[in-house]
Amino acid sequence: MGIAPAAAPPPPVRDPSVPAIRATGITKSYGHLQALRGADLVLRPGEVLALVGDNGAGKSTLTKILCGAVQADAGEVAYWGEPVKVQSIGHALELGVHTVYQDLALAPDLSVSDNLFLGREPVRSGIRGRLGMIDRDQMRDETRAALARLGINLRSLRVPVRNLSGGQRQALAVARSITWATTAVLMDEPTAALGPKQSAIVYDTVTNAAARGLAVLVISHDIPRMLHVADRIAVMRHGMVVAERPAASLKLTDVIGLMLGEEVSE
Amino acid sequence: MTAMTDPADLPEALGPEEATGILAQIRGSSAFWIGIVVIGLIIVFGLITPNNAYIKPSNLLNIGLNASQIMLIAVGMTFLIGAGHLDLSVGYNLILASVLGAKVMVGLAGSTTQVAAGEYPNLIPAVIAGALVAMLVGSLAGLLNGLLITRLKLNSFIVTLATSGIFYGFALILTSASNVPFVPDIIQTEFGSNRLFGFIPLPLMVTLAICAVMWVVMRTTRFGMRTLALGSSRESTIRSGIDIDRHTIRLFVLQGLMVGFAAVIDLARNAGTNVVGHQSDNLQAISAVVLGGTSLFGGIASIGGTLLGSLIPVMMANGLVIMNVQPFYQLVAVGIILIIAVYLDQRRRSRLS
Repeated sequence: MGIAPAAAPPPPVRDPSVPAIRATGITKSYGHLQALRGADLVLRPGEVLALVGDNGAGKSTLTKILCGAVQADAGEVAYWGEPVKVQSIGHALELGVHTVYQDLALAPDLSVSDNLFLGREPVRSGIRGRLGMIDRDQMRDETRAALARLGINLRSLRVPVRNLSGGQRQALAVARSITWATTAVLMDEPTAALGPKQSAIVYDTVTNAAARGLAVLVISHDIPRMLHVADRIAVMRHGMVVAERPAASLKLTDVIGLMLGEEVSE
Repeated sequence: MTAMTDPADLPEALGPEEATGILAQIRGSSAFWIGIVVIGLIIVFGLITPNNAYIKPSNLLNIGLNASQIMLIAVGMTFLIGAGHLDLSVGYNLILASVLGAKVMVGLAGSTTQVAAGEYPNLIPAVIAGALVAMLVGSLAGLLNGLLITRLKLNSFIVTLATSGIFYGFALILTSASNVPFVPDIIQTEFGSNRLFGFIPLPLMVTLAICAVMWVVMRTTRFGMRTLALGSSRESTIRSGIDIDRHTIRLFVLQGLMVGFAAVIDLARNAGTNVVGHQSDNLQAISAVVLGGTSLFGGIASIGGTLLGSLIPVMMANGLVIMNVQPFYQLVAVGIILIIAVYLDQRRRSRLS
């Protein structure tokens, strides 16, 4: 049927020195409000980048531009070194960029494996496939494998997703993005609605995603956690990325200082 | 989520999974419970009707025959409601489809004087063409509903309420509100009231065969899965890259086609059109779907439950007629059962979310 491949594709082997996504001089205005005034950002494969900043600093707008939900007024976004004008979320999906949303990410009445494959269901071979019959055995096997790779353990893949806990649901949403993404996974406050135990499940999947060679962007207000989970921290203020440092070199007070506009020595 | 339950407590969160045994799975399905109601009706009416006339196989088959048109419409409606839509225009679409089918059938069968004299020189091709036209008209009416809903971004309830009037109006304009005359009787003798081995009604067999195919479509195909995904979460279905407008249009065409099948059976059983009937087909179909355990909120659907739900009103009416009681009590009873079914669905939903 020529839909997407049934198997979760491994991220293609690419030159790891080339950034998965490089955004340069991005500007975006909503009427008189200048949300972005020349933001630069680099996402590298195999790295978790935390994007932090005060409310209104432009984090969400920048992320939406990278995932195709919003078009920039000016600036350039390159995927694997190739400048691309991303037209839509679908276009970004084709480039291998998947986004995890805070809500509405899953169909609650569908099973775990149906959700993981929604939109990419593998069909059976032969005439049954031509009739659109899907291969649920294959879907369950591959879902089990995909979840195991991320360290997510569910006892049954047949249950409707609404029976899962909030953390498990979010972990599944992350797992789905990671399974199909080949370039980057973007997450806007992936744990905002979750308790500490459930957040831990989600952040485990985040680090696993980077370990699989994907570039991962996480927007979060949970800066102490980001210092722990992320490889690098990018700080936004007034529509610009004002600093981008290795997480290991930063302390909480440094990050907060950068967010508020203080100079922090490297 | 309240603080009373710890959602991170995995075994508890996955509690429903313990219900993986076949018995437990069956107990959890609404079709099972509505099946109990059906069997209960058979037993009760079987015991209280004179000479146990109710449970004679011929009577039970008659019940199935009388329910067959609503079954077809309700199976289409199961897909629509499962996807979070409704079609109120089904009964009027049926009238329009049967009128146009009958007109084509009579027009092709012979000249006006011939058919008035009961002579049909081109009988077989005319009957086939008429049946095909009825199915085509039904599907095109469904296509119109689907296009209006997706292109104009209107609610399906309002669109199909409006097209109900449009379809019915056209049917009455075409016929001056009287039934199409000179429809050949052969469609009734050979199909509508014919029985396999003199026993099993042919329209019921055809209906069950079509419904079996639709059961497979719902349970095993990409189309069925995406239908329920759409009803479960429209937003996540869009984000999965599925073209939901195209899917919605297909759903309404499917509903129209099912109405077309019902129109052919209607023509065959009456040996003619029934332009004053079918006023409540939409509500009968919707109540059959909901009785059968399909959620009015979308996302959960049961074809088997719908078939059983279609039987209940017919079973009650049949039993009451045999007992010489006014069959109108059936309307009251079905209304009460329907309210219970919707209440249980709502409670299940609020408990789960």
